[in-house]
Amino acid sequence: MKLRIEALAEATYVIPEGRLDFDAAPGFQESVERIFSAAGKAPAVVIIDGTGLEYVSSAGLRAVLLAARAAQRAGSAFALCALQPAVREVFDLSGFSRIIAVHADRAAALAQAQQGRP
Amino acid sequence: MLGPLGRVIGWVSAKVHALADLLLVSRGPYARAFDNLILGLIIFSVASIGVESIPDLPQWTMQLLRVAEIIVVAVFSFEYVLRIIAAPSKLGFIFSYQGIIDLLAIAPFYLTGFDARWLRALRLLRLLRVLKLQTHILETVVEERTRELREKNEALEKAQAQLKAELEVARSLQLAILPSAFPARPGCEAAARMIPATTMGGDFYDYIELPDGQIGLVIADVSGHGVPAAFFMAVARTNLRELAVHHLDPGECLAYTNDALCAQNPLDLFVTVFYCVLDPTTGVLRYANGGHNPPYVRRAAGPVETLSGAGGLVLGAMPGARYPGHTVQLLRGDRLVLFTDGVTEAFNPTEELYGAQRLVDEVHVHGSGTPAALVERICQSVTNFAGREPQSDDITLSVLTWGAP
Repeated sequence: MKLRIEALAEATYVIPEGRLDFDAAPGFQESVERIFSAAGKAPAVVIIDGTGLEYVSSAGLRAVLLAARAAQRAGSAFALCALQPAVREVFDLSGFSRIIAVHADRAAALAQAQQGRP
Repeated sequence: MLGPLGRVIGWVSAKVHALADLLLVSRGPYARAFDNLILGLIIFSVASIGVESIPDLPQWTMQLLRVAEIIVVAVFSFEYVLRIIAAPSKLGFIFSYQGIIDLLAIAPFYLTGFDARWLRALRLLRLLRVLKLQTHILETVVEERTRELREKNEALEKAQAQLKAELEVARSLQLAILPSAFPARPGCEAAARMIPATTMGGDFYDYIELPDGQIGLVIADVSGHGVPAAFFMAVARTNLRELAVHHLDPGECLAYTNDALCAQNPLDLFVTVFYCVLDPTTGVLRYANGGHNPPYVRRAAGPVETLSGAGGLVLGAMPGARYPGHTVQLLRGDRLVLFTDGVTEAFNPTEELYGAQRLVDEVHVHGSGTPAALVERICQSVTNFAGREPQSDDITLSVLTWGAP
């Protein structure tokens, strides 16, 4: 799995590409934790862009759950967007889409995240 | 009988041998310092030959060089004698390449004093020894490091073997807590199998005898693999078994189990659980789904149905989660097929997924036999599909047929 991070003004985007599985999960977790522990203020909005994410295993789900918890602790809004159908199904079946916001695209995720803030 | 002289000679001999051993044979710091001293003197004495050849040197320089020459020859002679003493074969050393060069380096001084300057050029030969000495030192260091490495490797291998043995024990314990037989009920037959991906799996299945004669069936998949997953599996199984007896409603049982797991989850693991309760007398199956792949019901006539009501939250992720209950009526000859995603998400060497459709096809075509035969058939199908691709996830299957008593 490859991982890119785009820190833009409105949000920080985490862009995993490939398979988020048992082997890739620790690297993903570490990169995301670095976003929240970096010097200065944590980003107001963190969005995982799943355009290039092909597969998520249960270990991958756990990494996403931990990312969501880290965001909550840091006071950042957190969402997923642009999930491929197979990945979306994993989030739906596991009930994760009930506790983590999943949106169609970046714009929708951003709009929702900004609406939720004062 | 040794006289006093003999004793003195014995003592001196022992001391000299000890010294030779310390400076030449041992690989300790003294030997290394001595090697460096000889090296320095060789380079110095060769350089001094060059300096002496400069015409009209001041008298004091000549004097200094002569004193230096005496010291150099003294040390070289001392070294030469010591090497003969230390050598296992005295003559062997004297006539060896090294022995002859060492002798040629000092012999001219003893034969002709300071006059035979040109003969001292023979000492250049000792430069060759410098190279040899350095190679020797290098070899010694390499040898020492190799030995250290080998010792560390051996220790590591031993530790690894021990760890592996302990993991094997843990694995057999883990497989041993899986139930081996379905509780006997007239008309009911069941079979199950778990094939762990690594030595320790996170999948499990279970049969629970409930107080009112009903039977609980569990299939579950803990996130990740290895020891943490196996521990969490054991905790999840124990909690579920205990709570199932007190909460006969499947949804309520999962909700309590979830809260219990959230309270003892330092590693933030979670587990997907499908839990159902079968009334063996009526064929009524009540179930709740905590994030698990929805199981199939293969009707006696052949059609395969997916059990609705999926999408409940996995257990251990968030306290307070609720799990709605559902009901399905089993008819005579229907089969319930529970599985984990290790089945549908098995990859083949070309990165293709086994997928739900292949599983549904197998269940549809081969579901009319015994549960054991269907379990075997599906495992075979997945293994054939995966080919040489290593198994990345636990594969677990549990099949039940119901027939009215």
